[in-house]
Amino acid sequence: MTGPAAITLRGVGKRYGKNTALDGLDLEVAEGEFFCLLGPSGAGKTTTLKTIAGLEQPQAGTVELGGADMAGVEPYDRGVAMCFESYALYPHRTAYDNLASPLRSPRHRLPAHEARERIGEIAELLGIGALLDRQVGRLSNGQRQRVALGRVLVRPARAFLLDEPLSHLDAKLRQAMRAELRAIGAVRRTTTLYVTHDSVEALALGDRIGVIRDGRMVQTGTREELWHRPCDTFVARSFGRPRINLLPGTVTPEGHFRSSDGAYELPLAVPAPPGTAVQLGVRPRDIGLGAPAGTGGGPALELTGAVHVTELLGRATEVTVRIGGQRLSLVVPRAEAAGLSPDRPVRLSVAPESLLLFEADRPARPGRRIST
Amino acid sequence: MRRRLLCAAADLALIAYFVFALFPVAWMVVLSLKPTNELFSTYFSFTPTLDSYRTVLGAGDDQGVPFLRFFVNSLVVSLGAVALSLVIGLPAAYAAARWRFRGSENLMFTLLSFRFAPELTVIIPLFVLYQQLGLFDSYVGMVWVLQLVTLPLIVWIMRSYFSDLSPELEQAALLDGYTRKQAFFRVALPLVKPGIAAVSLLAFIFAWNNFVFPLILTSSNAQTVTVGALSFLGGDRPKYNLTAAAALVSVVPPLLLALTIQRYLVRGLSFGAVKS
Repeated sequence: MTGPAAITLRGVGKRYGKNTALDGLDLEVAEGEFFCLLGPSGAGKTTTLKTIAGLEQPQAGTVELGGADMAGVEPYDRGVAMCFESYALYPHRTAYDNLASPLRSPRHRLPAHEARERIGEIAELLGIGALLDRQVGRLSNGQRQRVALGRVLVRPARAFLLDEPLSHLDAKLRQAMRAELRAIGAVRRTTTLYVTHDSVEALALGDRIGVIRDGRMVQTGTREELWHRPCDTFVARSFGRPRINLLPGTVTPEGHFRSSDGAYELPLAVPAPPGTAVQLGVRPRDIGLGAPAGTGGGPALELTGAVHVTELLGRATEVTVRIGGQRLSLVVPRAEAAGLSPDRPVRLSVAPESLLLFEADRPARPGRRIST
Repeated sequence: MRRRLLCAAADLALIAYFVFALFPVAWMVVLSLKPTNELFSTYFSFTPTLDSYRTVLGAGDDQGVPFLRFFVNSLVVSLGAVALSLVIGLPAAYAAARWRFRGSENLMFTLLSFRFAPELTVIIPLFVLYQQLGLFDSYVGMVWVLQLVTLPLIVWIMRSYFSDLSPELEQAALLDGYTRKQAFFRVALPLVKPGIAAVSLLAFIFAWNNFVFPLILTSSNAQTVTVGALSFLGGDRPKYNLTAAAALVSVVPPLLLALTIQRYLVRGLSFGAVKS
């Protein structure tokens, strides 16, 4: 990375009365990067964006844009564009006038004919070219969301701040827009901070992803880092559907994992002190059905259990297996799961390197991953 | 069958109330059409005449009561009071809706207390003050004192309108590159237009109908219709027909105003209740 980061937050704190929205948040987004901020609702995602935009004043910490401290800088002088989750379109104006609003403002004024051209391009790109004359009140939620996105893309900006910009589109359109969004020239060139609660969206879009929880950054990294080396069970649970299996148990004196009801033991690749209460994480798609086939990477581990229930997920099937008192879900191609009926004994295989070991969860603190 | 009966009963009750409410108005219309010599006959048979209106709108009666002047005074003073209240009250209402600062609630409550404190409690000190300051019987003095009536109304009602607007609209304007002032004028203000229309009308009516302030704080120069209409009752014989005609004439401006902005009024009064 050359030069200062486009967006830097250091220890940013924000309280509303007794509620803490941001609790010492750190964030660094590189110039031109597409950064996804992922977290459940109430985690502080929107507050983060508004703090960067200058709409909220943090009570602690610093916000820097392009290396310059933004304390006391008005929103209109920060040069960032933001797409609100509530759209925040001007309801008394047409879609066209909403898109034209930034281009008529003192900061980003364009001559009328250039503005018209620019708005035409953006509208075409977002598939709202035919709606420009309509009053905002007469647009559907999906159309409003695209107008709101258009109002951001239409103007030059130092950074785009997008707050769940695809959340109100129907599933098909969302998928199409997701694919297109990153290809839009303006987005490709401009630093983008994208807020979502949808892990699929974050994985598909982000150069890097930051997972936020209770106003703190839990982990940042590329999608591979977050997928393969989640720092705790919260991050591990955030990605992948069905969710990662987290099996409670303890570490035996030999350094093996023993399930909490003692039904099975598995060798561990990472050393952990004997007696520790731990959770073994294994993703549903990393578990195979049937005897170990040896897919390279050392001998696979084997487990035996009984089918609890199966559920069809399109081309794949989710199988829930009972092992002792625990349940384990796995996803296998539909053909492999054919003929499985409840209570039928099955054998499962897992590659040892796909196992993740976490500390046990404590109240209000997810268990951290134990690594070498 | 039962429903129809209920409906009929409801209609009947409404008609009864209607008669009850309109009877004084009808009586006044009748009174204003009576000639002076038939004024005290209680029969409805009389020779209707527009003489009272001619006198009221013309040069005035033999006592020289310049009613037209009172009428113009009322217009100037009421419109002036509403205009001044809007200029001061709209930014105040906006600030009160958007920002909590130390003492903001106390300030708002003080403003409201002007409305529910009887005007008579402050009228004597005001009278003395106005005499000293030379504001007695002047337009400026009347516009000023009517702020006690119009300003709290406008600030309180407009605050709730501004509160109903999402602050994100102005935030979006700030990010579009507009200053806070421009965000207020270009985004917030146009969206509360129906509210401004409704509250302006209401404030105008209250200012127009105010009686106590002009009664004590004006004499002839800045006197308004509410007090002026009573001037006809002075002298050796009270001329009720002239007073009735004057009262009916003075109903016209608020009525016309209400009719012209009726469209906004309905929207304005239901605006806060219906969230989009």
